[in-house]
Amino acid sequence: MQQSLTAVVERNVTFDAAFATEPYEAGWAAEARWFVRVLEAAGEGAELLLHPQISPDGLFWCDEGSAPLVAHGPGLYSCALRDFGAWLRLRGEVHGESASFKVVIALALKG
Amino acid sequence: MTIADDLRLALIQADPRLSKFNPLPRILFYDDFDEGVHGWAELIGNHDGNLDNVRPIMADLRPPQLSSCTFFDIGTHGSVHGTYALKLATRAKANHMAQLIKRLTFVRQGLVQFETYFTYKAEQVFSRAKGDTAVWDGNFDPSETDFGDFTISNDVCEGHEGTRYHCALRYLNTDEHGKLVQKWLYKTSVQTSTKMHRAGVAPPAADYHVQHPDDWREVPGGYQPMCFNEVPTKVNWHYLRWTFDTRTRRNTELQVNDLVMDLRDIPVPVYEVTYKGLSHLLNFCIDVRTHRNVRNFLYLDSVLVSVDW
Repeated sequence: MQQSLTAVVERNVTFDAAFATEPYEAGWAAEARWFVRVLEAAGEGAELLLHPQISPDGLFWCDEGSAPLVAHGPGLYSCALRDFGAWLRLRGEVHGESASFKVVIALALKG
Repeated sequence: MTIADDLRLALIQADPRLSKFNPLPRILFYDDFDEGVHGWAELIGNHDGNLDNVRPIMADLRPPQLSSCTFFDIGTHGSVHGTYALKLATRAKANHMAQLIKRLTFVRQGLVQFETYFTYKAEQVFSRAKGDTAVWDGNFDPSETDFGDFTISNDVCEGHEGTRYHCALRYLNTDEHGKLVQKWLYKTSVQTSTKMHRAGVAPPAADYHVQHPDDWREVPGGYQPMCFNEVPTKVNWHYLRWTFDTRTRRNTELQVNDLVMDLRDIPVPVYEVTYKGLSHLLNFCIDVRTHRNVRNFLYLDSVLVSVDW
């Protein structure tokens, strides 16, 4: 039977500027899926961009290369990753006048 | 010793997974983190479905990680047996704590023993904070002063609306100024519960385990420098054995490598109020707390809990 593990890495947190989630070790997993639940969105033209990032050591990061998740309002958003190495995080950008997003972010791993 | 005792001991000593432990007669669980997290889950404060109602000190205790102990300089370190260890990681924020919990209930009261091989580290930083005068001399590395503390604890409730208490033992590596202390502490007040908080009988907790951050005392003979091993990327595993007795509501012993501390005379604070729905509660907790804006990590290679039931 495969192993699976879901980690809630951000919980009811409001972002109004650029951010990165905490480094998460996932070297044991063959596949990963980010789930981002936007609870609230505020601000004129509010847009949330989430770029999957990868790292060999949890210290130095680059974009994984997938298209970013894009959110403009409440809802559940998801993207899947494979061949990511050992560490994962999301790099977030918040655009729009006085924009903010309240989110729950979970990482589901399997392998 | 009976023949059965001798046979049992021989079987344990011949098993490379178990021979590094000293279990009581019944092994309640054995957790090798090469196989998964074995029920060690993030602790969260009580809520009504609205996560905004979780008390701040229990709202962000961080999920478990299965770590290969990988570092920027050498790559993967691995664990004692195999590749993975259970890892707790704080945020890079002073006073942030990460805690994991494993939840059981007890069949009978008696001795309970928690054993593990652990190590602790602060995250590598590449420049010291302004005002930090600690200097790397080729042996001592200032990163050792970036590690705050870690605590092992339990949560026991003797029956429905029965007596409830937490035993908690903390290894204080540094004080709030980053000065090395390296002592074992025990707590002198009960942990503020969500019930107490909502009833207004306790202020918001600044230290998860106690009512006031100063409610800790030194364990007699509890000074113990450990093997941090000079840099934040070298992992040396330490043996820990902690025993408590749910008949006497006391810690019994704490052994870390060759240091054995008798804890039988140390009082354990008991709640004045009772709690519903916690009959025969037996939880095990581990946590790590940073005192600086540097991530702190606690790694467990494996855990064995045994009882004398």
